[in-house]
Amino acid sequence: MASIAAEDLTALTDSLHRLLQDKCTEADVRRTMETAEGYDPALWGQLAEMGVVGIAIDEAYGGVGAGPVELERVMEEAGAALLCSPLLSSILAGALVQALGDEGTKSRLLPQVANGSRLATVALTGPRGGWTAASVSATASASGDAWTLRGKAAFVTHGQIADVILVVANAPDGLAVFEVEPGAAGLTIKPLPTFDHTLRLADLAFAATPARRLAASRPVWDAVEEALDLVRVALAGEQAGGAKRALEFTVDYAKTRAQFGRLIGSFQAIKHMAADLLMESESAISAARAAARSLADGAPDAKAAVSLAAFACADAFSTITATAIQMHGGIAFTWAHPAHLYLRRARADAQLFGTPAAYRERYLEALGA
Amino acid sequence: MADGNAVTDTALREEVRAWLAANWKPLPRPQPGPGGAGWTVSPEHKAWLEQVVDARWAVPRWPTDWYGRGLSDAQGRIVEREFAAIGAPGTGQDRTNLWANTALAYASPTFKAKIVPALLKSQVGMCLLYSEPGAGSDLAGIRTRADRQGDHFVVNGQKVWTSGAATADFGMLIARTDWDVPKHRGISFFFCPMKQPGVEVRPLRQITNESHFNEVFLTDAIVPEENLLGPLGAGWGVLQTALAYERSVMGEGARGPRSGVAEATNEEPLIALAREAGVLGDPLIRQEIAKAIAYKKLNALNNARAKADLKQGASSSIMSLGKLAMSRILHEEARVRTQILGAGSLLEGPDHPRAEDANFLTLNAYFTSIGGGTDQIQRNIIGERVLGLPKEPEVDRDVPFRQVRGNT
Repeated sequence: MASIAAEDLTALTDSLHRLLQDKCTEADVRRTMETAEGYDPALWGQLAEMGVVGIAIDEAYGGVGAGPVELERVMEEAGAALLCSPLLSSILAGALVQALGDEGTKSRLLPQVANGSRLATVALTGPRGGWTAASVSATASASGDAWTLRGKAAFVTHGQIADVILVVANAPDGLAVFEVEPGAAGLTIKPLPTFDHTLRLADLAFAATPARRLAASRPVWDAVEEALDLVRVALAGEQAGGAKRALEFTVDYAKTRAQFGRLIGSFQAIKHMAADLLMESESAISAARAAARSLADGAPDAKAAVSLAAFACADAFSTITATAIQMHGGIAFTWAHPAHLYLRRARADAQLFGTPAAYRERYLEALGA
Repeated sequence: MADGNAVTDTALREEVRAWLAANWKPLPRPQPGPGGAGWTVSPEHKAWLEQVVDARWAVPRWPTDWYGRGLSDAQGRIVEREFAAIGAPGTGQDRTNLWANTALAYASPTFKAKIVPALLKSQVGMCLLYSEPGAGSDLAGIRTRADRQGDHFVVNGQKVWTSGAATADFGMLIARTDWDVPKHRGISFFFCPMKQPGVEVRPLRQITNESHFNEVFLTDAIVPEENLLGPLGAGWGVLQTALAYERSVMGEGARGPRSGVAEATNEEPLIALAREAGVLGDPLIRQEIAKAIAYKKLNALNNARAKADLKQGASSSIMSLGKLAMSRILHEEARVRTQILGAGSLLEGPDHPRAEDANFLTLNAYFTSIGGGTDQIQRNIIGERVLGLPKEPEVDRDVPFRQVRGNT
């Protein structure tokens, strides 16, 4: 896969870091997460301009033409800042269009996804989650050249704000990807209340909904898996970045909070928790970056590396954010403290696109067991 | 270096190569020592070391007055690479010989002249007399005493976890010489002669039913005054130097299964074991296997990232995590092996090699989680030195040691 020069990547992550420090403060996150759309269109525009939205889209279609390595680093920054945005959805949709490999679809859809002017998402899994081929529950049927969809797609990320909805459905000849207009007849988009307020999810119901079948130059599920692997690496980066930030503010608190006439960080009960969390945090970063590298290189162990990162980063983010609340004590039991925002994000990230247990199973399969 | 006599890298490389070509003859394979503990140094090996020392290749970074060539570290590496390329031992001792480096830095002139060449040539055996039954994690709390009597010290006390004590000629000893100052300031550092009536070595039977370590009982043992390293009462500082050398050369102490029964394939040992035991299809076992393998893999990825960071000149906080990580890896692997075997782990003995492995690893994992600093001490170090958390207040820090509470 493609990549950009190391110094360009550093420049990109530096300017992203500054942008998020300025425009994605805790107050910004709290304000944005309570809006209906769940993202800040002005900030989204700046992210698109910077190349973050189209980072993994080929240059020929208006993207940056970078790959998993760059995407992962960018997501570490986004995760640390708890960015509220449809970035993961756009990355998944863009990757799926690229993986399907049809020139017409790419030139029609990718430029506007890359420049952020159209939000895109992929509706894949059924009501039980899973994000596997078996969990696809929507069906497609044809009458002449005209396709219609029936059934449901669940947990569609940013489904309520997407301009481009790609639906994976069971067609008579196997799995296929369909494009559905948000205002199409027979389409019901039901926004879901989410435990993580920084996330937007919707259930989609199709009642003979007209859809455009996207051409594929390869088996469709292979393309979906390729796109999912890219978004898994992105998610791992988000988790690693979020975990690192949560540990940082927890350690800072332990250096300023005094009880019994001592800073609480001097108590071994706290210190030992922090040391264990550092191990989790560093391991998450190593796993996310190694997975990105393997995927970029098309290494034979890429499936194992991505699976490892997927469960290691999910578990690390969950453990660190959960323990962070305990280490803070009462202050983090309040809504006003940011610790719970990170815990909510960690719990959401640990379910999206697959669960840690499923990734452990996939990891063993990749190791030949 | 702006030294007028500095040798170029190329000339140095050629000189080492030529010398090795003229002198190196492969040595017989090293033999395990009695009882499988340690390795004996063969006469051929000793003869080779003598040649290496005399030709000034043993410690090329040391000063020319002391068997060295005053080379830079980078040039020292050139010498080491040439030796390593043909498998010849003996060089790089300026980096790796804990005993010789400690003696060179701190021994008295008369003792240094005797001991340093003997150490470089492996003519004397050594052991460490640091830990005591009452001073483990809190090493500065030692209660072995050394009292001056005329031109020597008389040592009384007990040391533990000493490997190689039965064959050693000297032990690097820390003992208390002043009881009226705080604990770190009353300690002195000695080369204690081991072959004397006042030194009794008893093998220690470990929980694994092996004996790699000894207890050493010191009863009116005599240490000549010239064997004192550094000033009286400054032993803690000497110890820090010695420990730094020890850490820099200590490989990972962890050992794998000891059954000697080869696992059938190249796959991950836990997967192979579960396959053999017929439980690889058990989803609960599979989850546990994946977690255990992941701990190992994540540690490898962390180490690789730390090395890459170091190459780019950035110091890495990850290095300090390695020992704690290894301890978790070993305990987890042992736990999952036991889970895979189930009731099979009840057994032991040569007819039950898999049970032997699981049970041995279960117990031997403590070698890593206790030895060389317990996991709890490691977490203190990570918390304080890496994360910058404040130190625990030390109640015995500024108190004369005589008043410090001991084990009763």
